Amino acid sequence: MTSERVAMAPPSPVPHYRRIDVIGGATIIFIAGLIWYGAIELTVGQIANFASGALPKAISIILFAAGGWVFLHGLMQRGEEAERFEFAFRPTAIVVLAIVLFGLFIRGGDFGLISTPQLGLMVVGPLTVFIAGSATPQMQVRQLLILSFGLTAGMLLLFPDLLRAPIPVFPKFLQGAIPPSFGIGAAVRVLYAAYAALAAALYVVFYRMAETQRD
Amino acid sequence: MTDLAHHLLLGFSVVLSVENLMLCLIGCLVGTLIGVLPGIGPLATIAILMPLTYNSDPAGAIIMLAGIYYGSQYGGSTTAILVNMPGESSSVVTALDGHAMARQGKAGKALGIAAIGSFIAGTFATLVLAGIAIPLSKLALSLTAGNYFALMVLGLTLAIVVGGGSLLKAFCALLIGVVMALVGADQITGEPRLTFGTQVLYDGFDIAVVAMGLFGIAEILRNLETPESRPFVGDVVGGLLPNKQDMKASAGAIARGSILGSLVGIVPGNGATLSSFASYALEKRVARHPEEFGKGAIQGVAGPESANNAAAQTTFVPLLTLGLPSTATMALIGGAMTLHGVVPGPQLIQMHPDLFWGVVTSMWLGNLMLVVINLPLIGIWVRLLKVPYHLLFPAIVLICCIGIYSVNSRPTDILMVAAFGAIGYLFYKLKFEPAPLLLGLVLGGMLEDSLHRGLILSRGSIWGFLADPMTLVLLLISVIVVASALSPSISRRRHVLAEEG
Repeated sequence: MTSERVAMAPPSPVPHYRRIDVIGGATIIFIAGLIWYGAIELTVGQIANFASGALPKAISIILFAAGGWVFLHGLMQRGEEAERFEFAFRPTAIVVLAIVLFGLFIRGGDFGLISTPQLGLMVVGPLTVFIAGSATPQMQVRQLLILSFGLTAGMLLLFPDLLRAPIPVFPKFLQGAIPPSFGIGAAVRVLYAAYAALAAALYVVFYRMAETQRD
Repeated sequence: MTDLAHHLLLGFSVVLSVENLMLCLIGCLVGTLIGVLPGIGPLATIAILMPLTYNSDPAGAIIMLAGIYYGSQYGGSTTAILVNMPGESSSVVTALDGHAMARQGKAGKALGIAAIGSFIAGTFATLVLAGIAIPLSKLALSLTAGNYFALMVLGLTLAIVVGGGSLLKAFCALLIGVVMALVGADQITGEPRLTFGTQVLYDGFDIAVVAMGLFGIAEILRNLETPESRPFVGDVVGGLLPNKQDMKASAGAIARGSILGSLVGIVPGNGATLSSFASYALEKRVARHPEEFGKGAIQGVAGPESANNAAAQTTFVPLLTLGLPSTATMALIGGAMTLHGVVPGPQLIQMHPDLFWGVVTSMWLGNLMLVVINLPLIGIWVRLLKVPYHLLFPAIVLICCIGIYSVNSRPTDILMVAAFGAIGYLFYKLKFEPAPLLLGLVLGGMLEDSLHRGLILSRGSIWGFLADPMTLVLLLISVIVVASALSPSISRRRHVLAEEG
């Protein structure tokens, strides 16, 4: 998975299916096919007044040719010259998952396959930071916990409060429970103050207390 | 001349409001910050912060985004000199002599001359921008649809050729971007195009969403695969101000760098990076003691730093006068302008003189701020270098999510950012440059429209389309550029540039 191992090893022939030009060319050919499929019902028209299908179809053909060239180049080149395709799957999957969860649950809604409830920044914020942060092995859980609540507190201060960005903060059921006399704005301020305090408390417990115990 | 003074006065009246001054300052500071931090470039930052500017007025938004761009050139040189780690690709050559000076205990001098050179070059480039804008936009107004099409083809060709990497792959990325621009409701008939029957695609691809994924998130994924290395940061800074002798030694280099940078910046392609390389080569050639280069020659810092700053400013010329962004960063800034209802192009100066001259003068003011504020702040920037990346990137992820949601309140936008993040990383691993894709996405609609109108005017005759001398010349130049890039000697040089940049 990592690129260091390859750099250390003496250049060995790269199998065809792992060459970047083979995979890259195939990807372009696939995209060309996708464009053609999407444009299949669009009309091309005449040169003097071309219609909406002309450019997509023309580009699809050019892309097919260009992708084919890259693909063939990858197949024909000598095994030692080819570059190996490496993809760090784990961090990519984790970061993408963190963002997708944010998208699915920030306001909730019907996403075709699933429908989700609104959880708001209060829940989704720390969750996104926590999941994204675990993409690197250098992260410690203690750091990550502090970061999750601290960052969310900062974002709550910046976006809903200072910039007045229209972003859901509370889960649906909690939002209804806030008495109108108190107001959402005040509740947001209470929340980020609480999260900031929590982050500070965790920092003291995890780092300062540990130091004094060691002394 | 009185016209110019009048215009600059108008510009200052716009910039010198409390809000715009603050935005300019924020832009410069954020720019310096990300310039200092390796792993976060101006392109990603502008992509990430673009949504935050939607609440301010268009002039303020562009003033801030521009500040991020040229501010990052400053910041990049700071890390290049102090820790031999170029924060941006445009300061790669600064590291050669700048860090050598730092090792001799002359880091302060190197930082000082870089800042002073940048300021002088920035001033010069601002004047070039102000002087060239009106004639160029008048010329642009007389262009026909066919001319415009050919001009775009030439611009995109140059952007691809200068960009480095495989020409064919860059061409593929460009075409994918052009097709993505066509997705959604047809401009004339409103019929859905390439939407695969989905509602999400009917609105087309949002440039902010695509850019944030391809550059913001993909950059994080790229950085995560290499283990972090903690930079060693020395404290030796020394006196910050270069003495008379240093100034005399670098005056020529600054002047040449300013002119060279201003010229290279106007030509499409990554002007700031290219001009710093060109300036270094030029200085080495004209120097009386070329053997000192690489061992701490002050001209080797002054020239490239002046050049990249000048180029960073004149890169705005094609966008603001012709409406044609020449780099991915400019494409984003053009996209931000469009979202604010200001269409970049030849009519910009007449329709929104306050915005145009406000942005131009803000560049000069921003450069002044950078000199005055940054030199004393260098200590803080260096300390920031010690913030480990693994504490930084979760914050970037969260800011991306919240930022993009607050633009349209559409959860699907966030899912698209995630998808484009993964695609951007895949493209990087397959060695496809994503920058041409973004240029294609921004210019695709205009490209189709001008080709369409041009062919209607020539009644469908391709020869008639090419008969316009200007169209023909521009397209011929494009062909020559591609052909020369494919020639063995130049393609080897492009290879070297791609590896060093």
